[in-house]
Amino acid sequence: MASDGRRGLTRREILKAAGVGALAAAAGAPRRARAQQKTLKIVQWSHFVPGYDKWFDGVFCKQWGAKHGTQVVVDHIAIGEINARAAAEVSAQRGHDLFMFLSPPAAYEKQVIDHTEIYQSVEKKWGKPIDLGHKSTFNPKTKKYFAFSDSYVPDPGNYRQDLWSQVGFPKGPDTWDDLRKGGKAIKDKFGNPVGIGLSQELDTNMAVRAVMWSFGASEQDAEGRVVINSPQTIEALKYMRALYKEAETGEIFTWDPSSNNRGILAGKLSFVANAISVTRTAEKENPEMSKKIQIVPALKGPVRRMAAEHVMDCYAIWRFAENPEGAKQFLVDYIDAFAEAFKASEFYNFPCFPKTVPDLKQQIANDPKGSPPDKYAVLGNVLEWATNVGYPGYATAAVDEAFNTFVLPTMFAKVARDELSPEDSAKAAEKELKRIWDKWKTA
Amino acid sequence: MAVTGAALEREAPRRRRRVSGATRLGVALFSPALVYILALLGLPLVLAFLYSVGDVTVGSVGYEFVGLENFRSVVESPSFRRALVNSFVFTIASQVIVIVCANALALALRERFRGRGLVRFLILLPWVAPISLGAIGWKWILDSIYSVVNWVLAKMHLVNLFDPPMWLGRPALAMASVIAVHSWRMIPFSTVILLAGLTSIPKELPEAAAVDGAGFWRTHFEITLPMMRPIINVALLFGVVFTFTDMTVVYILTRGGPYDSTQVLPSLAFQTGVLGSDLAEGAAISMFLVPILVAVAALMLRVAHRAEVV
Repeated sequence: MASDGRRGLTRREILKAAGVGALAAAAGAPRRARAQQKTLKIVQWSHFVPGYDKWFDGVFCKQWGAKHGTQVVVDHIAIGEINARAAAEVSAQRGHDLFMFLSPPAAYEKQVIDHTEIYQSVEKKWGKPIDLGHKSTFNPKTKKYFAFSDSYVPDPGNYRQDLWSQVGFPKGPDTWDDLRKGGKAIKDKFGNPVGIGLSQELDTNMAVRAVMWSFGASEQDAEGRVVINSPQTIEALKYMRALYKEAETGEIFTWDPSSNNRGILAGKLSFVANAISVTRTAEKENPEMSKKIQIVPALKGPVRRMAAEHVMDCYAIWRFAENPEGAKQFLVDYIDAFAEAFKASEFYNFPCFPKTVPDLKQQIANDPKGSPPDKYAVLGNVLEWATNVGYPGYATAAVDEAFNTFVLPTMFAKVARDELSPEDSAKAAEKELKRIWDKWKTA
Repeated sequence: MAVTGAALEREAPRRRRRVSGATRLGVALFSPALVYILALLGLPLVLAFLYSVGDVTVGSVGYEFVGLENFRSVVESPSFRRALVNSFVFTIASQVIVIVCANALALALRERFRGRGLVRFLILLPWVAPISLGAIGWKWILDSIYSVVNWVLAKMHLVNLFDPPMWLGRPALAMASVIAVHSWRMIPFSTVILLAGLTSIPKELPEAAAVDGAGFWRTHFEITLPMMRPIINVALLFGVVFTFTDMTVVYILTRGGPYDSTQVLPSLAFQTGVLGSDLAEGAAISMFLVPILVAVAALMLRVAHRAEVV
């Protein structure tokens, strides 16, 4: 204790002073600070390309926050957690201001604001969005945009050029028929099977839709009526059964979304339908394999050449968001900076507003990481063959439920395994889809 | 003995006071458990029931009563019918394996031997470690490309390395795989329970049986097992409840595939309700678990009680 005549502070007094100070701090100064500094909370997936997250969090959000006097908080979650997290936020009516889905969130329409205003602001500067973005975020019945799509990821074919060139396809398969013939020849000659999945997972969902559309079939028509039970679907089912029996192995029934990546990178598969995550991983981890894996556009069927986007970035602003105005402004400004986003994603995210990356074709035709540098040039005409889930209709809540409950992969897998005939499987899928469509009519 | 009315009147308040003190203590001790059960089990159960008879989706803003419409809809779904059958197959098969293996392990672990503590610790690990970690480990062990099981079998020339068994790719193998992994997870729990039961059997009984000339099997089936029946029932009761309501193993290993052949009610409820956005139908699927579990619990408790009385 001090003994120099000045009265020292007792422990009790120090504690009291600290307590008063803390209270004053909590009640006073930060309140003023809070009044000046808004917060914008964003949740999105951990991007496949780590460099993208680095740019988004560390550069764009930081700059945007400084410009708008806003603290931007970005939370990253795994793909598999997105739907459960969204359901939890809606249930609690609390959460992030901007929620990024990787598929059209039509089921949440009543919980989100109308995003028309954002589209209008962006359109003034960058023109109309692509049809794929529009059909993935717009409900034609309510005339409401239930999300805002900034970008999509193409879903091309990845093939082993060294193998395909030895069976007469030096540029890889161009049609589904090529895939069957060449795939069988490679499997017979070298043992490498084709890797089109038939499992309950994302890539299978996309691949079987690509087969159906290419054969002229679809789950719904442009007006949203279930039309899956058609001769075209039956032809698509027969094709897939033949492809499995001639050119694939039973492992395709066990897969998760990363299995086909692993399979082709391990040198086992001759062809997979996937985003450029395959080749980008090869460039980083296996440069020799990177030279062997090349890209082809979606395969052509008897009717057309078509595939789904691999993932669809859809930002949604909850009705209960605490900073909806900030979220709207953020999206508008993000589109202004999309040219940088495209580069940061290493061409993974393609723009829904093409004018934001006017030199896209030139960029992808000369990629220093690609081997050869024009490896990704085939993606230049991606909009000629990429479409939305739900084509030729819109991506509705019913389409989303059918997608997430794997009705189409189940239909294809049962035929491939001879559990059902193509006709019976199409009939069973039709019954299931109609049950789902009926439910969502009234929702 | 005759008791006068006045004496009764004097006695009653005293008794009330004594009872109320004990009651207060009882309520105080019991209430945390009650609050826990009501908040974490009762409330979700009521909510699930309300959802199952409503039109709730993940994004809906109102609630409309639709009666049994969701139940009618799920019953029409082949995926649901498959999941219902699978739930029984998954539960019964895994519990048979668990009880048989746990019995054997409990008998072995009862004996004193060097390293018994370490063996007990290792056997308990699958139960103590998070199931998601264990299931992911098994997913790799059974992987179509990197399966260590297939690699070993191929090295032993038992399977063709280029055409190995697809453990998670064929309906029967996939179901066997999820049953095996779930059993691996549940065996330690039942072993601990049965071990406790074994140690409570008076040593004089098997010793007397041995003196009378009874061998191991006769002693086991005619003395040990009958005496352990109540504790086996407890292990079975918990096992059935845990298995019927579990979706982790199925979801991580197969996500219900191939083509819904390993789908069980909890995984289908999650897939439909959360991933498919239809909370009402997901709740309706999960409600099918309730009568089954109530019936199982009532049956098992009755059996256990009867065994105790006997």
